[in-house]
Amino acid sequence: MRNPEPESPVFSSGAQVPGADPGAPLTRLFESLRPDLMRFAQWLARDRAIAEDIVQESLLRAWRSREALKDPGAARPWLLTIVRREHARLYERKRLELVPLEDVVETHSGPLSVAVEDDLFVLRHAIMKLPLEYREPLVLQVLGGFSTEEIARELSLSSTAVLTRLFRARNKLRVLCGMAAVADVPDEGGAA
Amino acid sequence: MNCAQARLLIGAAPRGADAALAAHLESCAECRALRAEMLRLEGDIERALQQPPQLARRRRGYASGWQPWAMAASVLLACAAVLGVWLLRPSDSLAHDLVKHVKAEPESWLAAQQVSADGIEAALKNSGVAIDLTSDKVTYAQSCWFHGHYVPHLVVQTAQGPATVLLLRHEQVKSRRSFHESGMTGVIVPAANGAIAVLAHGGDVDTLASAMQQDVRWLPDSN
Repeated sequence: MRNPEPESPVFSSGAQVPGADPGAPLTRLFESLRPDLMRFAQWLARDRAIAEDIVQESLLRAWRSREALKDPGAARPWLLTIVRREHARLYERKRLELVPLEDVVETHSGPLSVAVEDDLFVLRHAIMKLPLEYREPLVLQVLGGFSTEEIARELSLSSTAVLTRLFRARNKLRVLCGMAAVADVPDEGGAA
Repeated sequence: MNCAQARLLIGAAPRGADAALAAHLESCAECRALRAEMLRLEGDIERALQQPPQLARRRRGYASGWQPWAMAASVLLACAAVLGVWLLRPSDSLAHDLVKHVKAEPESWLAAQQVSADGIEAALKNSGVAIDLTSDKVTYAQSCWFHGHYVPHLVVQTAQGPATVLLLRHEQVKSRRSFHESGMTGVIVPAANGAIAVLAHGGDVDTLASAMQQDVRWLPDSN
């Protein structure tokens, strides 16, 4: 078992903490955001089982730190940040086995699948092929709705470095999707 | 701002509303074209990321009885994909014409400055529509010729980027219709006296459509 037993009602397994109110607003709020967190974690981790562990652990952490959430309206970016950090922590802690992309396939990409020819499929595969340094800010921006400055803070980079990574991420996607590359920009400024 | 700086901003945040970039785009056709191209790609990226990757490990050198099932599943998925495309097609010529109209005004989504109350009023003039909308969210407001009538064409800034709103006093729809075409997601909803269309490059269009249903007031017929 990768994760400890649930300590809060914020879990999908049906487990409940004795006495916890499953209808509590915060519990409902966290649960409503679980699909977003899973999608975000899967794009980061490129592995469903690991993503599930990350989300599980993140929700535990969030539940323990729930006092820090002053504004329920900010729950989504708050939880996404926790998920991102948990993803980074998991890789640092466990030194997870790197999965060659060639070994990872989208489950609908069978030999007879017409989806292979679909533009969206190509793009999804191209996003998965992006190195984490490019994929992470892109997913934070597009899925998470984070601004350049927020991403810079989260990744401990300068805003210029984030802009450069986002530019290069999209430029790589252009190339991987068969479009012409845009002229590159000067090297990024690096850490903030 | 020079072209290299503009390229960086366009590539890093195609939906960004940087004032200096907007000014540069007004005078640089090349960067404007790049922006339009990147906005199309951005819509596709958003669609691609909307679903989590359905990942599985590929099994090497391992052939067994699951393959026929996988083939059958693939055929089923192919059918589902075709069905999906069919369901997501423009529901009718109205949806198609809306997409065509919005595509014909690509600059509308590039506008970064808010439109004044007078500008909004001018767009609504003679359209038989009044609107209770916070003007600081509106970055584009025109009165456009569409299906034989002048209709208000607005671009509203949302948390997910710009969205186009067309107030169609002379169109009637019985129920909500959603559509997807050319990287745009849209919805047409019935209103008290006409219909409201909302289009965006991905993202949630329903929330804005619902808000517009509340905010738009249909005036007695005047034209």
